Amino acid sequence: MMTAAMILLTISCVFLWWQKAQWVWLPVLAALIIGTIIFVQDVDFSTNLGIQL
Amino acid sequence: MREGILSPELERILNLIGMLGIVGIILGSFVYQFSYHELPCTLCLLQRVAMLAVAVGAAMNVMLGPDSRHYGVCLVSAVFGIAVSIRQSLLHINPFFDKKTGQPTLEATANPPFGQEVFGLNLYIWGVIIFTVTFLAVGVVQLLREQSNWPTHEPAWLSRLASLGVGLLVVVMAAQAVMVFMECGLGDCPNDGGWNWWIFR
Repeated sequence: MMTAAMILLTISCVFLWWQKAQWVWLPVLAALIIGTIIFVQDVDFSTNLGIQL
Repeated sequence: MREGILSPELERILNLIGMLGIVGIILGSFVYQFSYHELPCTLCLLQRVAMLAVAVGAAMNVMLGPDSRHYGVCLVSAVFGIAVSIRQSLLHINPFFDKKTGQPTLEATANPPFGQEVFGLNLYIWGVIIFTVTFLAVGVVQLLREQSNWPTHEPAWLSRLASLGVGLLVVVMAAQAVMVFMECGLGDCPNDGGWNWWIFR
């Protein structure tokens, strides 16, 4: 998953540099959505969140 | 058109400086990672994703010309990054919290900080500072910039510099992607801070 996010960012940057593409924000957004999924999965709600809040 | 203090050329230069700053931070984290033999954890990598996404927003301003939408990419990425940084800071802010049992403890070293310090602060605290600075910088530039849709004159030296800078970002980003693949493969990343690359397991 993390690899996919990084690959998406790299693709966006390559096309920005190579073709000055306007749509490069789309893979960036996709990478951030993947990052959010990883982030939410990383939170151990059952053991951590009760105490922290 | 509304007059502003920042011309589009100056705005592009400021974005280039910010982008190169993030490239420097990522290169510094490579040095740190290899000199201490500590692989970044999941939350650390997510902060790198956010920083590189902020850099793409700045690179869009550099390559395509300043635009509010490009600053939007920076802001959305910084919101994600600061959420991750604050989460990781909160995980380690209380040394009296035992991560293994999930209970409070009398042992002050039950929840030690993750990784080495840089200038006295852990990297996730630096993450909070960097993303806060991103918000401030974007806000100040939005206040001072010219609100114009007119095509601007593009100096040749600035175009060459922009192409060189974004080329460097591409190289750093590709190196980071290869390193993440070597560390995590296509699955979850290790969280122990050790030196166990997925590709060598």
